[in-house]
Amino acid sequence: MSTTNGDGRTERLLEVKDLTVGFPTRDGIVRGVDQLTLNVGSHERLGVVGESGSGKSVMGLAILGMVLPPGRIMGGSVRWRGEDVLDPAVAGRVRGREIAMIFQDPMVSLNPLKTVGSQLRELLKRRVGLQGPAIRRRSLELLDMVGIANAGERLRAYAYELSGGMRQRVMIATALACEPTLVIADEPTTGLDVTIQDQILALLHDLSTELGMSVLMITHDLGVVAQFCDRVQVMYAGRIVERAPINEMFTDPQHPYSLGLLHSVPRVDRDDGELTGIPGEPLDRAQFPPGCAFEPRCNEAQDGCRDAPPPLLKIAERRWVACYNRPAAGSP
Amino acid sequence: MLRWLARRIIAAALVVFVVTSLVFVVTHVFTDPATVSLPLEATEEHRADRRAALGIDRPLAVQYWDFVSGLVVGDLGESFWQDQPASKLVLERLPATLKLVAGATAVTVLLAAPMGMLAAWWERRFADHAVLGFSMASISAPPFWIGYLLIIVFAVQLGWVPTFGSRGFVSLILPSFAIGLASAGRLAQMTRRGIVEELRKPYAVTALSRGFSRSYTIVHHTFRNVASGFVTMTGWELTRMFTGYTVVIEVVFAWPGVGRLAIHAIENRDLILVQAAVVVLATLVVVTNLLVDIARRMIDPRVELA
Repeated sequence: MSTTNGDGRTERLLEVKDLTVGFPTRDGIVRGVDQLTLNVGSHERLGVVGESGSGKSVMGLAILGMVLPPGRIMGGSVRWRGEDVLDPAVAGRVRGREIAMIFQDPMVSLNPLKTVGSQLRELLKRRVGLQGPAIRRRSLELLDMVGIANAGERLRAYAYELSGGMRQRVMIATALACEPTLVIADEPTTGLDVTIQDQILALLHDLSTELGMSVLMITHDLGVVAQFCDRVQVMYAGRIVERAPINEMFTDPQHPYSLGLLHSVPRVDRDDGELTGIPGEPLDRAQFPPGCAFEPRCNEAQDGCRDAPPPLLKIAERRWVACYNRPAAGSP
Repeated sequence: MLRWLARRIIAAALVVFVVTSLVFVVTHVFTDPATVSLPLEATEEHRADRRAALGIDRPLAVQYWDFVSGLVVGDLGESFWQDQPASKLVLERLPATLKLVAGATAVTVLLAAPMGMLAAWWERRFADHAVLGFSMASISAPPFWIGYLLIIVFAVQLGWVPTFGSRGFVSLILPSFAIGLASAGRLAQMTRRGIVEELRKPYAVTALSRGFSRSYTIVHHTFRNVASGFVTMTGWELTRMFTGYTVVIEVVFAWPGVGRLAIHAIENRDLILVQAAVVVLATLVVVTNLLVDIARRMIDPRVELA
């Protein structure tokens, strides 16, 4: 499969193949992430979009080889520049330094009992190896980069003394501390005011361009994807159901779930008539049907959909869909 | 911060005052020190003499005023068993008790913190189960029994330390463990549970995702967040030590502290001395709680300045 932007400047950084994360429950093992395949190239902004419980956040951590107990990685591989991230020795090197994560709720994702300065200091000292006055200089520089005024004063502040947007900026500063090549942003704007959301997104966008970082944006918000990403993957029940360049996803969605998602978003630039939701509810993950997970809610479902989950197949250049009703490229 | 501290100290002083007043009520209203101190066959004349000698034939309000004004200047009355000021007797024994509590607290903290961290690090593995086993055993066994067990093994069989008395640092070891083991058992479990919970919190996940090792995250991130609860629980354990364990263990090890003095005072029916011992121990409990509040305020800047 090819995931390059086609302009030749990209280098493949992250390659996730068939990654599966299982959580034991009373009703058997629930797959939070199921045979996930995903690639991120350099200078790329990839979006992963899906509703709550679709396994997006589990995916973000699993890429770093982290799963909260009692879950565990059941199969698949994660490679960073060809090295196996699921190997703890490699993970120890890659985490933070090569791939840094930004989390949803900056209130609880910053240590409540450490000042901003001490959280930056421990990263710069222990993960980057800076010493002495260089630490403070770099801390101020980082806060400046994320647009925090009065940086010197903010170093002494605790998370609870900062506003939501400010906390997320600090979070981004800690992510940038080790100059990562890829940032995984897990719902970085959820829970912030709308104006602050835009500021944070713009900040991430600018930083990724300036510093040449790739971003993997995990979100439930198609607006965020439209504003931010070059390419998007739609996730449903732990599996990727569609993958497309950003424009094509919005002009020509293929998977019935993607269609439903787009129709449930109000658009001001076009008159589509009434908004329609997706019928039904997200599945109870313990009671997965053996076939396509979206089949119970799908208005195009046929008998064949219930037998086995549809594979993600290429239907056109840079277009992939997992649906029996969308013929793969080359097949009749 | 200073105003908060001043308020806390005034509140603590008030608590000491209320507690000592309650002690007065128990010793002077519910019981009669004169009757208690005399043999059963004493005549009414004897009792009246003793009452006059103790000044308890006067109205209660006058006696209470005497008690309170004495308290302010550190006068807790005369022990009629020892014929000495009760406060002097108690304060003479106080350093021994403080030494014992300090030793027991050291045992508690130095065992509980690492054991809790190890158990959390190896959650559901052998070390975790071993720590749980230790905790169950130490919590279930009564301290006096642990005391005798330690004496039999380390003093009698191995002869490493003296069996009883207070001769320097070595003799402090066994009684400190006898008191501290159960506290360490309780605190280790609390620490373990706290760290395991904290490790699942987003800030700990963030630290791990930045490439900090599990051990670094436990020691530098989660333990700090457990520390406030740890200090509070340590304060509780200190309270239990002052009001119970030291009394029992001082008797087991013939340790010359306030607890054993209180027991002797009870045996000799010296209510004034008992009262003095209780007042001093209660004050220590209140002071402990005050120190815990100050420590929590220092650990967690979010603690309300109320």
